[in-house]
Amino acid sequence: MKFLDIIRDANANLLRNKLRSFLTILAIFIGSFSIISTSAIQAGVNNFIDQQVDSYGGEGYLAVVSKDSFDALEGLTGAMGNGNSTPIEYKEDKIQDGMTPITNEQLDKIKKIDGIDGDSLVEQKSLNISYVSSKKTDKKYLIGAEALPPGNIKVETTTSGQLDLQGDEYQIQLEKKYVDVLGYTEENIIGEKIQLVVVDQFKHTQKTFNVKVVGVIAPGVISMGYSYVNNKTADDIYTENTKYYPAEYKDHVVAIAVNYDYKNHSAKEIKDKLEDIGLSAMTIDDIIGSIKTFFDVILTVFKIFGFIALLAAAIGIINTLFMSVQERTREIGLDKALGMSSARVFLSFSIEAISLGFWGSVFGITVSMILGNIANNIFHAEGGFLESFPSFNLATYTIKDIIIVTVLIMFISFLAGTLPARRAASKNPIDALRYE
Amino acid sequence: MSKTLISARGLRKSYGKRNSKFEALRGVTLNIHEGESVAIIGKSGSGKSTLMHLLALLDKPTRGEITLNGHPTARLRAHKLNTIRNKKFGFVFQSFFMNANDTVLNNVILPLKIAGVGYRERHRRAVSALKTVDLDDKRNNKASDLSGGQKQRVCIARAIVNDPKVIFADEPTGNLDSATGEKIINLLFKLNREKGITLIIVTHDQDLANKCERQINIKDGRIVSDTSADAEQDDDGDEEIREIIAESEEDDDEDATPDKFEGDNNIDGMLDQKHPVHHINIDEDEEDL
Repeated sequence: MKFLDIIRDANANLLRNKLRSFLTILAIFIGSFSIISTSAIQAGVNNFIDQQVDSYGGEGYLAVVSKDSFDALEGLTGAMGNGNSTPIEYKEDKIQDGMTPITNEQLDKIKKIDGIDGDSLVEQKSLNISYVSSKKTDKKYLIGAEALPPGNIKVETTTSGQLDLQGDEYQIQLEKKYVDVLGYTEENIIGEKIQLVVVDQFKHTQKTFNVKVVGVIAPGVISMGYSYVNNKTADDIYTENTKYYPAEYKDHVVAIAVNYDYKNHSAKEIKDKLEDIGLSAMTIDDIIGSIKTFFDVILTVFKIFGFIALLAAAIGIINTLFMSVQERTREIGLDKALGMSSARVFLSFSIEAISLGFWGSVFGITVSMILGNIANNIFHAEGGFLESFPSFNLATYTIKDIIIVTVLIMFISFLAGTLPARRAASKNPIDALRYE
Repeated sequence: MSKTLISARGLRKSYGKRNSKFEALRGVTLNIHEGESVAIIGKSGSGKSTLMHLLALLDKPTRGEITLNGHPTARLRAHKLNTIRNKKFGFVFQSFFMNANDTVLNNVILPLKIAGVGYRERHRRAVSALKTVDLDDKRNNKASDLSGGQKQRVCIARAIVNDPKVIFADEPTGNLDSATGEKIINLLFKLNREKGITLIIVTHDQDLANKCERQINIKDGRIVSDTSADAEQDDDGDEEIREIIAESEEDDDEDATPDKFEGDNNIDGMLDQKHPVHHINIDEDEEDL
């Protein structure tokens, strides 16, 4: 018997009892719909995060603070949040915000660690800019900006270019929301100079930096609304910020960013080495990871529900096919009397089961894709919660996921079908023909 | 004498286990020759259907041996047996066994489909088989829309579509009125005559049996008479008992007495005899097909 005939007959047999087949397919549909939908959302979220990380680059990037600072941060959030950690003791030699500066001795040691690129070490300076303005407007706006960290980091810009990090010119990648209010469009602001103004908090002196816009930053998870400036700009603004600071505050470094050789060293290895000298480090993945974990946990729960639905559907397949075997006992007897082998009988019932699974998953995936696209459009429309993230498709259907889900469901259906298929195959042609 | 096609030696078949053991066949030996028309006659429960199932390789004997064209069949693999049934045998059943929702053509195609014959070829052969039974105009009708006689003709078309050597017919007229039954029988004999297909008919209808060249009477799992000249008797120890039982019960076994038949082995001559067709329903044949 030809394989194509078996497939055609299996589907014809399913059509013989349309309502029963439909209900079984419906059960599979529910399972496949939930699984493909959660996969799509998971893919959407991961895709977006990966896009952010990719656009940000950041392989080899390490954010380093002293271990005490790290514990303090955890302690603070712990004390406020889950309450699992103990309050931190006040110590005279520490700065009052709980941050422990990285010592010069530690800085020297970092540079000597095998695998760390000492030249890339940058002190993370928090810049205090009073406002931004431009020639085209009288208004002044608050702005957050920081030096672009080291690492192969690129910020996703909607228009044009990257910062000349080591250059002598003041440069900025401006967050998109400032473009309009400063009186420009995304296209014509490139190359223009805007004014970053620093007013000293002690002496109220004022200094204006004329900074050239080299790019406009797309909104994203990592930039968090910040604009980025090159090293020269950052250094000069920081110097201005700390001009009147008391001496003991002036040179302390709370956080640094540094590159490691990610091709030859694992992040864990480098982190352990830093740990040995009393420092804690985070990679981009560590920073992003928490967001991913959050989504993964929720979606895994939904996926489990999908699998439970699929399990129920599998029992439906077993039931449907057992009824079918019962009804078609004589037919099976005739087929076997006329020379159909047991293996073929088994195969034809298995293919019926697989067909049920196939149609169930095809319908599930199709409906999910239609609803997913509608949802994406609604969320991206004005007022939708993804309006400001044009590159974030909540539901993303990858060919890989579609194939995996379809094959998985067909396999589960096959397993469910083996029971009735075995019963059909083991029928004795004579007994089957006698069956009333 | 033509060549021996199927040969059975000391066939025994029992069902069930120790206490509820039932012996359907108690030692049957016979030869069936190419081109013969053979009737296996017996009452319900006589073992005639069991014998046919064994000869048709649908079942295996508990003991004894069946050879086909001189080849023993006992050790043949299931796959081989399936192929033999599919390509060399045709089956006609009392209750037709058709897929009622399918078309006439698709019902006839079934053995070819199982054999894996390509679409065009099987379509052509099924149409030609339907022409043989004079039903090719009904090829696209649903099988359930046919009359009983038409259904049985479709089944005959299905039986001959593979060009078989043998047709096994299990009470082929059992569900038909006598006039229709007569037509079916004539059709089967025509195939026997013109195509040389060996015909093995299981029946309890003596009139039908009389039309065959040879009658084999079965009773209680043994052959009680065989009109064939070279009829071979069972050579095992139960021989005597068998004959005693056969003789003692002969009197009340009206419908199964082979003595009445006086015809020769000439097929044409036999078909010329205009036997009035009595449709004798001796008993409700519930166990047999």
